[in-house]
Amino acid sequence: MSTDTPFVQLSGVSKFYAGVRALENVDFACRRGTIHAVLGENGAGKSTLIKIMAGVVTPTVGDLTVEGRKEHFVAPSEAVRNGIVCVFQELSLMPDLTVADNISIADPPRRFGLIDRRAQRQRAEELLARIHCEDVDPRALVRDLSLSRRQMVEIAKALGKKPKLLILDEATSALTSRDVETVYKVLGELRDAGTGMLFISHRMHEVEALCDTLSVFRNGRHIETFRKGERSQSDIVKLMIGRDVEHQFPPKPAPQQRPPHLAISGLSWENRLNGVDLKVGKGEIVGLGGLDGQGQKELLLALFGVLKGVGGQVRIGAGNGLTGSPAEAKGGAKRIALVPEDRKTEGLMLPMSIADNLLASSYHKVSSGPFIDPARAKAAVDEAIQRLQIKVGRPEDAVATLSGGNQQKVVIAKWLMTDPEVILLNDPTRGIDVGTKQELYRLMRELADRGNAILFYSTDYAELIGCCDRVSVMYGGRIVTELEGEAITEEAIISASLNIHTPDAKREAIAS
Amino acid sequence: MASLIARIKPDDFPILVASGFILVILLAGTGYTLATLGTMPLLTPNYLLTQLQTGAFLGIVAAGMMTVILLGHIDLSVPWTMTAAAMMASTIGGPAAIPTGLAIGLCVGLVNGLGVAYLRIPSMIFTLGVDSVMRGLMVAHTGGFAPQDTATDLMRYLAADKILGIPVAIFVWAAVSIVIAAILSRTAFGKSIYATGNREAAAYLSGIRTRWVIVGAFVISGLCAASAGILLAGYSNKAYQGMGNAYLLPAIAAVVIGGTHILGGRGRFIGTVVGVILIVLLNSVLSIMQMPEAGRQIIYGTVIITMLLVYGRTARVTS
Repeated sequence: MSTDTPFVQLSGVSKFYAGVRALENVDFACRRGTIHAVLGENGAGKSTLIKIMAGVVTPTVGDLTVEGRKEHFVAPSEAVRNGIVCVFQELSLMPDLTVADNISIADPPRRFGLIDRRAQRQRAEELLARIHCEDVDPRALVRDLSLSRRQMVEIAKALGKKPKLLILDEATSALTSRDVETVYKVLGELRDAGTGMLFISHRMHEVEALCDTLSVFRNGRHIETFRKGERSQSDIVKLMIGRDVEHQFPPKPAPQQRPPHLAISGLSWENRLNGVDLKVGKGEIVGLGGLDGQGQKELLLALFGVLKGVGGQVRIGAGNGLTGSPAEAKGGAKRIALVPEDRKTEGLMLPMSIADNLLASSYHKVSSGPFIDPARAKAAVDEAIQRLQIKVGRPEDAVATLSGGNQQKVVIAKWLMTDPEVILLNDPTRGIDVGTKQELYRLMRELADRGNAILFYSTDYAELIGCCDRVSVMYGGRIVTELEGEAITEEAIISASLNIHTPDAKREAIAS
Repeated sequence: MASLIARIKPDDFPILVASGFILVILLAGTGYTLATLGTMPLLTPNYLLTQLQTGAFLGIVAAGMMTVILLGHIDLSVPWTMTAAAMMASTIGGPAAIPTGLAIGLCVGLVNGLGVAYLRIPSMIFTLGVDSVMRGLMVAHTGGFAPQDTATDLMRYLAADKILGIPVAIFVWAAVSIVIAAILSRTAFGKSIYATGNREAAAYLSGIRTRWVIVGAFVISGLCAASAGILLAGYSNKAYQGMGNAYLLPAIAAVVIGGTHILGGRGRFIGTVVGVILIVLLNSVLSIMQMPEAGRQIIYGTVIITMLLVYGRTARVTS
């Protein structure tokens, strides 16, 4: 089906965010009349790739050509004018407007300068009919629709822009199986009509069923493009992992049976956690693996008392019961610490001083009566800086002046000051340099050896393999696989993350 | 010069600018009086003490307002909290007068705090509503007329008497200032106010009970407003309808001119004191210059906007 000249072509494209490489020297082409899958781990550069094609970000270097013309998009509207339309992962609908309003939001049909509501509704009806969603009322508010229906409206909205290339970023992840079938059919029809599609999905079976061309990205590079069927699933997994630089990890202790300190059973929250069972013993580092958004963050937040309406049972030490708030989590018998996902908005008060940030969780420890004792506060701050070797000018400087790695150390030091027993880490090494990463790995092992129970979520599989005594892989809000000792391999983690079975991975399914 | 400016901490810059502007106001006023009268009444201790006495009421309101603004919230219920505290204090009379007034402030603060922290209603709306409710209650209480009760002796003493030639109200302001400054800089609660105002999510995830912090700050604001209302009733010997109306906007202006970030998280207490003095002097000098009311309002507004523009030029530490 593919024509000879590619519709969109990238040549030598690189993108850097504040010095961090997101894409490097990528040559990539996609044609009309094909469904082209882009595969890769978290952080492989897929999102950056489509953002460049959709005009959301501009490449640092490199050229983008559309139908042979060189283009330089500075806004998504320019990409749309060239026929490149994106259905983003995050829903971009306005919940308080009607379906028809949303579909025509960028360019509503007008009469005498005012929006022609009837034409707008007709247009919405036509587009919805095209994706076989006649049951959606164009006058309904988007907020009243289910997540799956909203995603369908999103696709209808994209079709309304008459795409020549439709980019679907995880567009099927929210769909019910009925809608997935419909989308498959629609995409097939679009391909036959000559539309190109770029399909990003973590679901291997979808890619297998739908796509005719596959491209693998890894670490910001385009590794290989091939036609469907040229590579086996396990080959694809190998391509996605690659052979990376090995990190320096501290040696693991010999595996041993440890009585669980933190025991979770049947933990559930809304539709994001669907019955999580997990045990973490004292002195043990348990990794949480899986693709982004499979409930790992929610699990950590639920344990820390941030989420409301959590069901299931949690036992910590001898104490039973769920945690109601972070303040409760850090004190009393529970003694939980959480190093949150985003240190800039959740971990730190950036304009405040390093000292204030370090003390934020332990003011009561350095106070006598109502007043903070400056001498004790200073001693505690100095000790924390010393212990983690945080490179600071003066403790009074704003924490924003530190490098990413040192900022993360401040977050961790803040929690170590509270003397926790359970430490929850949400991707603590994201965006920090290799040297600091190694220090953090050593620190984690040291804390475990001192008897802390550590639950460690990471999007970097190498870390899970190098640091953890056990790894639990999550998929769809539950733990699907638990790996231990030698069984913790990249292949095993990736296949478990994609919820596919490869023969060489030893699996022990603990939940259906 | 550049290196000198670079050494100034960002939090101190507005305070220095405001202090400089106070000098400018005094000099300009003195220049005017020298030219027209040939005397320098503005630089006499008597004049300055009178200004500080006037400033005491505003200063106490602003101290409470600052704790709320540091959280990124605002307390618009100040005018009728003042009035209600003053009216109830003078209605009850006797030794229970002042505790009654303070209790009013405490209750209003609690209601505001609970509404903002637990019901999650934006403070701008919630406190405006509470202000209106308080006004309604006071109109019902007095029948819409000025109440006949007079202030108690203690209220009059605190507001209008002098010790060693210095008005007692200044001592009250100083005492309130020391307490609030100590809370903000020396207690866990104060640090939690700054943390919550900077980034509520991060403060919450650090195990700070952010809701209690919000309630606490509104209670402080309510207590401060009530104290100012009680003093004002003592000063004018009675409570009257709308006595607090003239204090809301100047209090907010004083806090912001003093360098407290209107979105919360940053600001030093001394700045608020400087801001109060600036506003009081500006008003007084403009009236000495016999500036018509219209011109005073224009200059007053222009000064506030200009100063905030100047502050906005300072380098911010953000990521």
